[in-house]
Amino acid sequence: MKAQKSADLFAPDAPDAPDAPERAVAPVSLRSVTPHRAAKPAVPQALSVELWLGVRIPAGEAQAGQGPSPALTRLATLARRLTPRVALAPPDGLLLEVKGSLHLFGGVDGLRREMDTACAHCGLRGTLALAPTPLAALTAARAGRPLVVLDPARLVGQLAPLPLKTLRWPPKLLDRLACIGVRTIGQALRLPRAGFAQRFGAAQLKDLDRLTGRVADPRERFEVRLRFRRRRELSFELENRTALLAALDPLLGDLERFLEARQCGVLSLECRLWHRGHPPSRSVLRLAAPLSDATRLAELLGERLDTLSLPAPVCACELRSGFPVPRVLSSGGLWQPGEHGGSPGAGSPQFIERLRARLGSEAVHSLACLHDHRPEAAWRATEPATAPRVESPSRGDPERTPRGAQHLFHPLWLLPSPRRLTERGGLPRYRGGLRLASEPERIETGWWDGAEVARDYYIALDTHGRRLWIFRERNPPHRWFLHGVFG
Amino acid sequence: MGTLWVFYPSLPVSADFSASGEALPPAWDRREELTRLLQHPAIWRAGRAARIPVWPSGFPALDEGLPGGGWPQAGLIEILPSRLGVGELSLLMPALAIVTRRPGARWCAWVAPPLQPFAPALEAGGIALERLLVMRIPRSAARRSFLWAFEQALGSSACDIAFAWARQPRPRQIRRLHLAAQRGNTLGVLFRSRGEAREASQALLRVAVEPLEGGVRVRLLKSRGGARGAIDLKWTARADSVEPT
Repeated sequence: MKAQKSADLFAPDAPDAPDAPERAVAPVSLRSVTPHRAAKPAVPQALSVELWLGVRIPAGEAQAGQGPSPALTRLATLARRLTPRVALAPPDGLLLEVKGSLHLFGGVDGLRREMDTACAHCGLRGTLALAPTPLAALTAARAGRPLVVLDPARLVGQLAPLPLKTLRWPPKLLDRLACIGVRTIGQALRLPRAGFAQRFGAAQLKDLDRLTGRVADPRERFEVRLRFRRRRELSFELENRTALLAALDPLLGDLERFLEARQCGVLSLECRLWHRGHPPSRSVLRLAAPLSDATRLAELLGERLDTLSLPAPVCACELRSGFPVPRVLSSGGLWQPGEHGGSPGAGSPQFIERLRARLGSEAVHSLACLHDHRPEAAWRATEPATAPRVESPSRGDPERTPRGAQHLFHPLWLLPSPRRLTERGGLPRYRGGLRLASEPERIETGWWDGAEVARDYYIALDTHGRRLWIFRERNPPHRWFLHGVFG
Repeated sequence: MGTLWVFYPSLPVSADFSASGEALPPAWDRREELTRLLQHPAIWRAGRAARIPVWPSGFPALDEGLPGGGWPQAGLIEILPSRLGVGELSLLMPALAIVTRRPGARWCAWVAPPLQPFAPALEAGGIALERLLVMRIPRSAARRSFLWAFEQALGSSACDIAFAWARQPRPRQIRRLHLAAQRGNTLGVLFRSRGEAREASQALLRVAVEPLEGGVRVRLLKSRGGARGAIDLKWTARADSVEPT
């Protein structure tokens, strides 16, 4: 009678409830187990080293894209309360190793209640199953059978009626298995191993082995990525930048301690300033290197606040960090940059960060050459190299040595895009007549990427004595353009 | 020695010569001692350029005219071209190549350049491109962002050279930039229009640049102890000077 009651308890939403003989052996509730356990230590529980709780969330919440869905991640984060060993099984599964937590949460029933609460908190209705191997727990949960198998010896018997498709094998393979009349896990387990591996693949045999616990099934542990988020209500409404920075100071101190404890730094930090009757002002700080120092963060944040215009006085402020990133610590230089040959690397990251904090990260860049004859494609903006350089960059490097007077033929300034020149009598004009001062340099390339150019470049002198770099299209209508200034 | 003006703060020169009560050394000996004494960096002789650390400009004729024999390593200088692009940048290219290619070079910042610096030409001119830092001032940013960025580049000790293209900076701002450049041990180069040459400026050096056929004419409008007048430079001389030796 007790077994019947517990079976009803555990199989309320299973449409294809197991038939009678199986039900007799199947679910074991905590109520039926715990008293025994207290009475005799040699209960079946002790036989399994691990006990996995498999959770399946409804398909609607599990997205088909790559990586775990936000709902699953949120649930996994909550599940970390129950056990440190949480593993994701995307797209819809979650696994918890709960052997060590059973007693703390009041046995299987208590644990299931906790997990149901966690699911409800995320707005989900999960299916739970307990089994000694992770794959078995997951498969049972995915099959919609809330199994509770505490004894490994009973595992195979419990799994046998589950349909084979819950293992998520390729459909073609399942069709082939169905052709030989194999539709359940039990039927598959009865097939000869060698033949099975040969006909249906060694990977599938390994799946079955992991299902029954013949081989180990290590799972990658889900690590929660913590972020710092703290809000402070202000006792006075503030407008002044200095006062705001002072108000943010304790929050930054907290952030520093938070990061120091984890030996981490942040790459982005968001500051929200709340107003009465207005949406909050946001200011996002992005950093070049992981940073945890409150003083420097305050300095950078101050630059951001400078550029921010506030619609109203601030009544509360909030700091939200990005994900902490491990910080690589290095010893500081003895000399100031530029002093006694001190390396430039020490001071330059701060310098660049300060600039970027105020001007935006795209506003500060370095330059590099590309191998292309088209002037507009011959260079690109690069990330400034902050690492200190020990040696002179190009001494003894034949490719990098200056090519004599060659650079006299190319301008130091390039226009963002070629500017059309007016013409008179077939000759170009730019605020007065232009005098061509060189032979044409033909640049005709780029047919392979759709940005084909066919141009004859000339050096031209304008009425002010400036040297300009102009070109004439080789194809009709043979227009003239200004493209550079020699400077 | 004629009209020799010597200014030496807190140097007990007279004590050296007479207080000991001994017989004075022979005249040639004294002169040698005086020469040695005048080597002291705290002494500045009028009519002679102050000894300041400089970057060679790459043009021997220009080096001769510039105080100290080159562009100063710390401080603000002004370049006043008659038009943008008459050769003011080419004038600085050899020095830039020398500075960026030396070991342990710091940044060379370009604050709000009016056009796009053309990397292949700069590289062909011998400049180490990875030491260049181009800063664009967003249109939305306030005008003082430009001055702020330039001051940061000058005063943060992270740059060897910082270029900026300014429109009508006020004398007070120039003084502030000059002090920042000295603090950061940085050469600040401010490009201004020729029309602003009349305005007072705290810059160490003011140079007007006019185009010539195949070169530029450089006029030193203000230089502490340097030469005055025009110096004609030809571009052909530039290519040789850039070659590393």
